[in-house]
Amino acid sequence: MSEPFSYYSGIPTFEMMLGIALVAVLIFLIGMILNMKKWGGGSVKAFLSAFIKSATKEGHQSILTSVVLDILLQRRIIRRSPFRWVMHMLIFVGWGGMLVLSLIFALFEILHKIGIGSFDLNVVRSGFDTPNEVLGYLLLIGIIIAIIRRVALSEVSKRTQVFDWVLVLGILFITVTGFMAEGYRPDAVSAWTFLGADEALAQTLALFHVAISLLFCIAYIPFSKYMHMIAAPLTIIANGGGE
Amino acid sequence: MAEEKKAEEKQMPEIPKGEPSIKTDVIDPISLMQYDACTRCGECDNWCPTLDAMERDMNISPRDKISRWRSFMGKNYGLLAKLFGPKEIPEEDIQNFNDHLFHCTTCGVCGTVCPAGLNTIEMWEATRQQLVLRGNGPYGKQSLFPKLIGEMHNPYMKEQKDRLLWVPDDVEIADNADIAYFTGCTAGFNMQVLAVSTARVLNKLEVPFTMLGEDEWCCGSALIRTGQPHIGDTPRQAAIHNVEALEAKGVKKVLFACAGCFRAATIDWPHLMGREPNFEVVHLADFLAEQIEHGKIKWENSLENKTITYHDPCHLGRHVGVFEGPRKVIKSMPGAKFVELERNRDLQRCCGAGGGVKAGIPDLALGVASGRIKDAMDVKADILSSACPFCRRNLGDGRNSVLGLETGDFNVRDSEENDMQVEDLIVLTAELMGLSTKTKSQTEE
Repeated sequence: MSEPFSYYSGIPTFEMMLGIALVAVLIFLIGMILNMKKWGGGSVKAFLSAFIKSATKEGHQSILTSVVLDILLQRRIIRRSPFRWVMHMLIFVGWGGMLVLSLIFALFEILHKIGIGSFDLNVVRSGFDTPNEVLGYLLLIGIIIAIIRRVALSEVSKRTQVFDWVLVLGILFITVTGFMAEGYRPDAVSAWTFLGADEALAQTLALFHVAISLLFCIAYIPFSKYMHMIAAPLTIIANGGGE
Repeated sequence: MAEEKKAEEKQMPEIPKGEPSIKTDVIDPISLMQYDACTRCGECDNWCPTLDAMERDMNISPRDKISRWRSFMGKNYGLLAKLFGPKEIPEEDIQNFNDHLFHCTTCGVCGTVCPAGLNTIEMWEATRQQLVLRGNGPYGKQSLFPKLIGEMHNPYMKEQKDRLLWVPDDVEIADNADIAYFTGCTAGFNMQVLAVSTARVLNKLEVPFTMLGEDEWCCGSALIRTGQPHIGDTPRQAAIHNVEALEAKGVKKVLFACAGCFRAATIDWPHLMGREPNFEVVHLADFLAEQIEHGKIKWENSLENKTITYHDPCHLGRHVGVFEGPRKVIKSMPGAKFVELERNRDLQRCCGAGGGVKAGIPDLALGVASGRIKDAMDVKADILSSACPFCRRNLGDGRNSVLGLETGDFNVRDSEENDMQVEDLIVLTAELMGLSTKTKSQTEE
């Protein structure tokens, strides 16, 4: 295995990945502080205190129940539309699963970089290939359903705004670049190997994919429709969850 | 529209350059967060009763209103506003938003079906209050509520001393008892058939009850629903007054036959006072269901196989969660052929009267009511019952409009000659228990 693939699925240097990730997280945090200040009438503390008070109100179901049934299993969506639940779960599981795998792999890379533990990073990464591939397809299918729904259903199409399109098309673009970066890898096990092995292109695409993933899927969250990923679960917890 | 024209002529505040066009100081942090939690799925639009009544005018769609307020917030408090200063929002946009926001009955079905579980009722009410403070709201005749309720303690320009004028000679009211009947302004002044029926049923059941009488103040619901709770601090004062007066009487349980008052006493009063009252708050429908369970109600008459259906009042059902009590009462009525409306319980369609819409936009209220009447016609109901004076009035108006009937006298029992009777649960209960539902003035005649 050539050295450039040692870190983060082909990004030339560990520092580069870390740098982009830190910038993304920093922008995300600034955005979240701005949002919490907006909600708290200029004070993050006021928001947090109102949230805690509301979430712990007597008579609410337990927060664990809300997290499992209302946030992770999204029973409020299935009650209204099983079709929309399937679409949303595909996106949610695909997106969330890959985020978790990325974080775990990043942890392995950090441990490897600072010399803790004795493991072969390439072996670890290979172990992530299939789960990433499966999750990527779940996300892709979910996003394609979302796009078709927005185009084909006139009632949905009429009410769709740029605000909505940015989210679905952005995720579609990121998902496809991810599959392409994987497909160009000389050691790829992906179905996208039909693109042909091209190490240089694989590196460039990997860097591009990670950069836009971090910037679009992390940094952009507080400033976009993505915000619902944080505000909706918080709302469910604050309102006590339930069907 | 005349009301919109009138609203445009209102004195709007001068916004100094560099200041936000909108403020958020009376909107609680959770409600503000909820504006960002909307996923724009549009489920709310599938259920909104006012959208149906307004031929799907999307300006009043819950999703659209959330989008607009979120956009206002972004322009005034978002990243760009922090970097370059708040962007001025055209006054016309804010006024239009205000007017569309007041085209809402605050029924809350949008929140019930929302996948993100938004508490839309609190969002709408708090945002309304912010707009009232800004000088944009309320809408139409809703602006009369603060003066009427603040000064006269009822919205009908009646004297407090007349609170007990409805009480007929045959009714016994105790000075002190464990149970109190909170009559409410509508039943006490304008829909006396409900009050006399309640009192006679309680007497027949040998349940001693007391009342506040001249000491009873309007529950304040109309002010809260229309974003005017701050004007004169009236709802809070009313909550304190009513609760302290009831506590002073030493009652253990307070019965409410009005869904609006019941909602206020259950949710709004404790919120306004910062404490729970020292008595139990019970809706009459649940009380009657309990009496049936204990075998205390003896039916003497029959509905004679009439098809009866039940409309869940928003304030009783979706807001507080009372769904089964009223059904239990109806199902136990002799000769009742009970059928559910297609939209029932927490997914019911609002009657159209709530949120100040009956006073502010009567045509819209009538349109929504007509939709509900058609729901009842779909199940071939002979009787459309409910447990709220406002539903009774508005559904009655809707029935008259759909069937081309003359406006009736809502102070007395609905005519049994009508193709579809619109009548409250307590009136039907009284009749089937063999009691008179005649009001004092009818008896005197």
